[in-house]
Amino acid sequence: MKIRKEEEYLVQDALARQLRQGRIDRREFLTRSLAAGLGLAGVGAAVKGGIGSARAQDRPLTPTFYQWIQDLHPSIPKVNEKFPDINYQIAPVEGFGIERFVAEAKNKESTWDVYVGQTPFVEMTAMKEAGVIEPWDDYIPKDVLDDMIPSIRAENTIDGKLYGWPFFLDVIGNSWHSGLTTKAGLPDAAPATWDEHLANAKKIMDSGTAPFGATFDSHGWRSLAPFAHSMSSNVYTSEGLFDFTSDAAVEALKLMKSIMAVSHPDILLEGASDGGVNGTPDEVAFAAQRVGYFTKYFNAPLRMAQNWDDQKALHLGPLPKFANGEGSTVFWTTGSALFKHGKNKEKAAEYIKALTYDAQIWKDSIAGTETSHPGQLPPYKSIYAEWEAKKPDWMPDFVSLVRGQLDKAKAINNHIFGLQQFVIGKPIWETFLKGEEADPKAALQKVVDAVQAEMKRGK
Amino acid sequence: MVETTASDRMTTSLAPQSRLAERLAALRNTMSAWWFLLPAIVFFVGYQVYPIFRVLWISFTDYEFLSSDPAQFVGFANYITALNDPLMWASLWRAALFTLMFLPGTIILPLLLAILIDKVTNAKLATFYRVVLLIPAVIPSTLVFVLWKWMYNYQVGPINHFLVDVTGLFTLQNAPQWLGGTPLTLPAIAVMEWWWGLGYHTIFFLAGLAAIPKDLPEAARIDGASEWKIFWHITRPALAPIMMILVVLRFGSAMAVIDEYLIFGGFNRDTPTYTWTIFMYDQAFKLGLWRQGFAAAIGMIGALGMMVVMVILIRIFRPKG
Repeated sequence: MKIRKEEEYLVQDALARQLRQGRIDRREFLTRSLAAGLGLAGVGAAVKGGIGSARAQDRPLTPTFYQWIQDLHPSIPKVNEKFPDINYQIAPVEGFGIERFVAEAKNKESTWDVYVGQTPFVEMTAMKEAGVIEPWDDYIPKDVLDDMIPSIRAENTIDGKLYGWPFFLDVIGNSWHSGLTTKAGLPDAAPATWDEHLANAKKIMDSGTAPFGATFDSHGWRSLAPFAHSMSSNVYTSEGLFDFTSDAAVEALKLMKSIMAVSHPDILLEGASDGGVNGTPDEVAFAAQRVGYFTKYFNAPLRMAQNWDDQKALHLGPLPKFANGEGSTVFWTTGSALFKHGKNKEKAAEYIKALTYDAQIWKDSIAGTETSHPGQLPPYKSIYAEWEAKKPDWMPDFVSLVRGQLDKAKAINNHIFGLQQFVIGKPIWETFLKGEEADPKAALQKVVDAVQAEMKRGK
Repeated sequence: MVETTASDRMTTSLAPQSRLAERLAALRNTMSAWWFLLPAIVFFVGYQVYPIFRVLWISFTDYEFLSSDPAQFVGFANYITALNDPLMWASLWRAALFTLMFLPGTIILPLLLAILIDKVTNAKLATFYRVVLLIPAVIPSTLVFVLWKWMYNYQVGPINHFLVDVTGLFTLQNAPQWLGGTPLTLPAIAVMEWWWGLGYHTIFFLAGLAAIPKDLPEAARIDGASEWKIFWHITRPALAPIMMILVVLRFGSAMAVIDEYLIFGGFNRDTPTYTWTIFMYDQAFKLGLWRQGFAAAIGMIGALGMMVVMVILIRIFRPKG
């Protein structure tokens, strides 16, 4: 009974405070007071507020993580131990579903304080537009902000404000099965150009070393966009969409067709999970050691090579470039979003800083553990500088190669259709890849038309 | 003149009171009946009627889930847009195509199997068959999808392994691509569904067969009727109600499939698995600011179309006589 009274007092007090601060109106106060079981006496005594928010004022720091982050990074619980009161949770966001976050934001409340799992080009604009998240600028320490690699900071920024605190960096690069390339008489080095990449892939097939020479993931943000970036990263329209009819995009599409000639016939098929996004045919081929070269974010070949007898045969390098190309690639980070209606914001910043600078997390990610080897890299300059000054014995060479690319790499622009433009366009540009459309630019123009039509549908 | 007795007078004077008492008793009975019905009514209204009307209302608005702007009433605009969209018709056709592939195997195979099992006279053996048949029905859907995804895998699946490595009928360059948006995808999913529902549907027919008096086919046999005639004139009419239920229910579930398409197909608009359910899901939870008003209209069009066909199916498969 005493506990109950104390709770009621806390709720009353919090409700009154929220009303005075103008964060809730009288109607909302009445509703929440009654819902909290305060009764009319409580209502009259306090004045106005909300049970969810009221309890949240006094709740511990409550972060929520996308499941895969916990699965791939087993050191996160060790960081949590430094925050004894933390209420660590897994987010209900299977398949990047943010419905729960949006529904709560519409009620001006949030069960959680910070979400770890946001990929800017996929969902950041939507979360901002729906009023789910607020910028980190008022909470992130300046030294952390200055420590971010500029391109990564730009990726997480909308209208000059930082809506994402980057954590895990994924970069599209090249990888190869050195056992197969060596057997085919090829040098054990990353092909510098796409021409070299194609010639090597053909040699693998012609020599009978493996049935397929090279592969890629046919989803546009993992192939068309990075291949285009390798020629020029200036491939975005004034409204922020991917410029499908740019020369770089056209060349990228032609390159995809060339690689298909030395690849497995099911390369364009959708994947096995996450609505066709993961478990893709390229991953299956690389895991089965049936293909020499594999262009994708490094997490993929590292995971697939775990099926090999000799995992050391996996070698990683930067994405090849066109002969006169810029040599850029696509990267994205998965980071943290600050809930607008969450609590403990200063504490959340403190926690995310501890997470993103944790040395053990980075070692596990890059060198791998018994359970996982994500190969995701940190977003801070200082960490790379430290490694460069004194290279750890567990550090593979690909890290410095990727770091070098990051100065030229560019993320896909943030836009409400940032990801979906590629989903809409895929079947259309594939008409060229399948030989149904002879002109790549014509196919890509149809993609532009389809994306514009889809955007206008809601107007 | 008829004289009234004391008893008659008493009855007459008590009649209004008695009728009132009867009415009160009836009311009490009715009220108590309503109390018993209340949980079902609450469930029916809250769980079925309200969501349907809510979605119907949303379909007449420009509601976008991610937008902070309030929804505006737009009349039939969403319906007109959807009906003018070739993707709406293409996606409905794809769902219908899958249903056409799915239904025959879902009805005919279990029916044949049930007739065969019904003829097994050894009780232990009949039980064994029933248990084996029911195994797929008790496997969780996730496991079923994983299993068949592997079965159909182009590069390492056992079906293509058999076709390429064992029989040499195909090479790795031209082996069938079962899933992922090829023309084989819908038949491949239909075959999986046949396998998955075989035992479950067979049990329906076995229950129907058990209700047929054994002396009927025996008498027909004595009269010289062939097995086909026995099936056509005795078994089939007896199973007609079950067949009607299965056809109507399975038509509904086939037209409204979504999990299988999400898992085996994805969001590629050119693939056979991009049906009206995926179109609706795409609009409601993926594209732009999540146009749920438009998505609701797609859903309503699909649902109305299904209801019309269901009525036709009921009329066709309704037991005659």
